[in-house]
Amino acid sequence: MTAALLTLADSRLPAGGHTHSGGVEQAIAAGLLSDPGSLAAFLRRRLATSGAVAAGLAAAACRAADAVDPVASLAALDAEADARTPSPALRAASRQQGRGLVRVGSRAWPHPAWAALPAQPHHPLALGVAAATGGLTPRDAAHAAAYLSISGPATAAQRLLAMDPITVAAVTARLAPEVDEVAGASIGGLPAATDPLLDLLAEVHTARNDRFFAS
Amino acid sequence: MEVVARCDARGRTVLPVVRASGQLAVRRTGAASVHLVATAFGPLGGDDVEIRLVVEAGARLAVHSVAAAVVLPARGESPPSRQVVRAEVAGVLHLAPEPTVVTARADHRAELHAQLSDDAELTATEQVLLGRVGEEPGRWTGTTRIERHGRPLVHTTIGLGPGAPAWLPPVAPRAYVSTVSMGGPQAEVATGVDAVRLPLPGGWVGTAWAEELHEAVTRLASVTPRPVQDLVEVAR
Repeated sequence: MTAALLTLADSRLPAGGHTHSGGVEQAIAAGLLSDPGSLAAFLRRRLATSGAVAAGLAAAACRAADAVDPVASLAALDAEADARTPSPALRAASRQQGRGLVRVGSRAWPHPAWAALPAQPHHPLALGVAAATGGLTPRDAAHAAAYLSISGPATAAQRLLAMDPITVAAVTARLAPEVDEVAGASIGGLPAATDPLLDLLAEVHTARNDRFFAS
Repeated sequence: MEVVARCDARGRTVLPVVRASGQLAVRRTGAASVHLVATAFGPLGGDDVEIRLVVEAGARLAVHSVAAAVVLPARGESPPSRQVVRAEVAGVLHLAPEPTVVTARADHRAELHAQLSDDAELTATEQVLLGRVGEEPGRWTGTTRIERHGRPLVHTTIGLGPGAPAWLPPVAPRAYVSTVSMGGPQAEVATGVDAVRLPLPGGWVGTAWAEELHEAVTRLASVTPRPVQDLVEVAR
């Protein structure tokens, strides 16, 4: 079971996450992120908002995969994800990554639940179904979602700022207790925590034509 | 507290129910408008206020307040204060109270839950200032959930102030304003300095932040479509 969770959270899983910076590219452009300290602060605010929302949705989607009517349950969760993601740029980024994960996950763990997902689902929904089909629990899905909300952005910061990889790895690793806390607190419900700063950064970023990352 | 707005046989709005008790009084200030009046200092830590607003089809209702709400902590370990607005809207509802000032050590939770029917129009403005002049900021958490026929259109929670997990330097503003407008055309994205407007199905939500409230209001106006600037003026 644990190996499936490691696979799901592995940055080498070809689900397309590496093309997204989770707002890091625009935060650097706006002068908000420049060193390990400001990276940690940025990852914290991302974890507490979009990380918590993703963890709650992923856990719920994992349960929905086994529901009596998974199509209706997952469609309702997709609407809840939209309501928590009013930024069109962030919605597009989430659905792109969801589609990428469906592509690899449905090959890795074939299961009827994949067909119950809406077309281009939000990423946390695809993550929840991947967890269910991989034999994992809603708790595992929440932890993977919370971890992925900071691991990809941390790598993006390392690449964009040419930061020391060991420093970036240490920043990420030190956030582990907070990742666990956010995941644990999100399992039972659907948090709606939002950060208008991340919305603004995402919309300014998507309007640029000189960007390196998709989001 | 409860206000019901109804459309009478001649097509005019009447307010068959206008009642309140406890920390809030409510006054009729027009054929289709009411003002909230605080009956004591506060809200105080531990206060729990529920406001029910019903606007039936064809009716209009504007809800204002007579003064800023200054949220104060209770003595000793202060529990949060809470204000919940539950709105059922089939007509037109404008919700534009004066700002909420959250003083040091106070912790305020504001919630808006709105159920809209097809032709409903809703405009709700919120203005928050953390701390009085020269004072440490208090803590504010605001949740907005708007549904149409049970389908969620927007559901967000914003946490401000020391201890709020996403309120971190270098972006930890003292002033925050937000307007949500439903029932008109869907607006496109607009961005400004510390201000963003996002489309919603049949509407939009605008948010801005700054160190001072008047700056935040000006920034919100810069990303707000024309008709609602009137409302921001009223709110100012």
